[in-house]
Amino acid sequence: MKLLTANRLNDGRVIYLGEADAVVETIDAARPLDADTAETALAQAQSRPAIFVNPYLIEVEGRSPTGRDRLKERIRSAGPTVGHSLDFAARLEAL
Amino acid sequence: MYRYDEFDAALVRERIAEFSDQVDRRSSGELTEDEFKPLRLMNGVYLQLHAYMARIAVPYGVMNSRQMRQLAHVARTYDKGYGHFTTRTNIQFNWPALQDLPAILTDLAEVEMHAIQTSGNCIRNVTTDVFAGVAADEIEDPRPWGEILRQWSTIHPEFSFLPRKFKIAVIGAAKDRAAIRTPAVGRQIVRGEDGQTAIRVFVGGGQGRLPHIAQEIASAVPGRSLLAYLTAILRAYNLLGRRDNIHKARIKILVAAIGIDAFSDEVERQFAILRQEDLRIPDEELARIRAYFTPPPFQALPATSPSYDAARRLNPEFARFTRSNLRDHKQAGYGAIIVSLKPIDGVPGDITADQMEVVADLAARFSFDEVRASYEQNLVLPHVRLEDAYAVWSRLREAGLATANADLATDIIACPGLDYCSLANARSIPVAQTLSRQLADADLQEKLGPVRINISGCINACGHHHVGHIGVLGVDRKGEEYYQITVGGSPDEQAALGEIVGRSLPADEVAPAIARALDRYLEVRNDGELFIDTVRRLGADPFRTAIYEPIDAAA
Repeated sequence: MKLLTANRLNDGRVIYLGEADAVVETIDAARPLDADTAETALAQAQSRPAIFVNPYLIEVEGRSPTGRDRLKERIRSAGPTVGHSLDFAARLEAL
Repeated sequence: MYRYDEFDAALVRERIAEFSDQVDRRSSGELTEDEFKPLRLMNGVYLQLHAYMARIAVPYGVMNSRQMRQLAHVARTYDKGYGHFTTRTNIQFNWPALQDLPAILTDLAEVEMHAIQTSGNCIRNVTTDVFAGVAADEIEDPRPWGEILRQWSTIHPEFSFLPRKFKIAVIGAAKDRAAIRTPAVGRQIVRGEDGQTAIRVFVGGGQGRLPHIAQEIASAVPGRSLLAYLTAILRAYNLLGRRDNIHKARIKILVAAIGIDAFSDEVERQFAILRQEDLRIPDEELARIRAYFTPPPFQALPATSPSYDAARRLNPEFARFTRSNLRDHKQAGYGAIIVSLKPIDGVPGDITADQMEVVADLAARFSFDEVRASYEQNLVLPHVRLEDAYAVWSRLREAGLATANADLATDIIACPGLDYCSLANARSIPVAQTLSRQLADADLQEKLGPVRINISGCINACGHHHVGHIGVLGVDRKGEEYYQITVGGSPDEQAALGEIVGRSLPADEVAPAIARALDRYLEVRNDGELFIDTVRRLGADPFRTAIYEPIDAAA
């Protein structure tokens, strides 16, 4: 399965496409997409440039990123793993 | 330090208005991301993994307390309460929202700061020796030359769309404390045959995928011809540099491809046809700018301070701090204090808003209102009376800024890596933290002496791993983080690129491997020999063996 992700235009934060074309901030709320729906979703996101900056698809099992960029996508979804943003990182463990 | 005149103030104000309009047009959808990207980069704004990132220029690394307090204000108001100092002596904020950027730049302009040319294919923020005006070996203070370059290069119409970014560093002493042979152009102030200021010029340096140490192109360009000569270099680069391949667009590739002699011929050709009188720095202008950098009103003090000496005798922790973090000052009775942004287990270069305010207070009270950002991602209070050093240390210690490790093994230079950066392949910060915990023993660090360890999360080399005495490069192996180790790099006047010692290692093997290499150094060094000198004498082999022998034995 795949998820659609991007950065949000107004604040740069990581976003995902959720159910009913909603924009969601957590990977847990992202809508799993199969091969057919993924391309449609990508096209739709590209047509909403006021929200989605550089939208793309990521591979997941459940909602856990897989594939070559899995670590990058896990860090994107949970925030930096160290440092002054650690409150974000606890969620990484849950993925 | 330099103060804006009406032209500087107007230029920054106009730039903010222009960028505010660009942000508005981006927000409204009038500009696409592809159209907006080069505009935001020209104003230091990146889009990273989690958010926009704003890179603020600290020209030649010099700040006053008001500026540092304003950075704290920006960190608290628009970010998550901290900032990150880089090897280019800039500061980065990791979490600003797009719509807040005009307000951030407006707040910064109040204290004469901006983000112009901290990114993009233009002439970047000029860096210099953090001990400018402090070090006794200095021929001349390089900061006025840094300021001249800043003024000349800011929004330079001919050089705002170069093939790639272009970095300049300038120093005023034979000892290179600003890594001048790693950027595009390095400049070393020397004395010309006429006794006047002259500039020794190196060109073609650069790190990243294909690293090169800059080569000498001129031994003594007269100071007043500095801008003409630099213009000739930039014109040669602008005309001959490649624009078809981003990986081959930097001046380091051009100089390596055609050779220093051919590049020099082109520079000389350009130099000969320039209207040099237009670019000659007028004596009165040079004097005006130099006046901003006259030494502060130092007291006439004896070279030693009884209270300082007593504090060192009575407090071993303070004594250790002074051994590692206090540098000699050319003014008797003063020293320069290195404020460590490398606490054990910390994030190299990070500083919280509260810490910024502590540093600002100390700069105002004890260092003639001056604080510097260093190439090593630390801060420096440049002009502290020795008799005040204990008070400064005590306050720094309370704030977590007094780790006694300047230039030692845990003074690790590291880029933000995959925790923040959209280009990175691997994380840098956790590796730095593990390493700093492994090498935390202060006695061990003193025994090891100066060792520069640099970590980059990808081949773009923002952590300058190529020129670390020990370098660590994060690589991606089928989605897993691995780290390649180099030994023997050096960023100083004997600049060299490190040698890769072998196959890359998983993250948990990096710190033990480096610890073994350092143990080996203790075994094989001659009396008083620094780590890098031992590597230069023996080559990388003993360290390679130390790193891989136990791993190979276990395999």
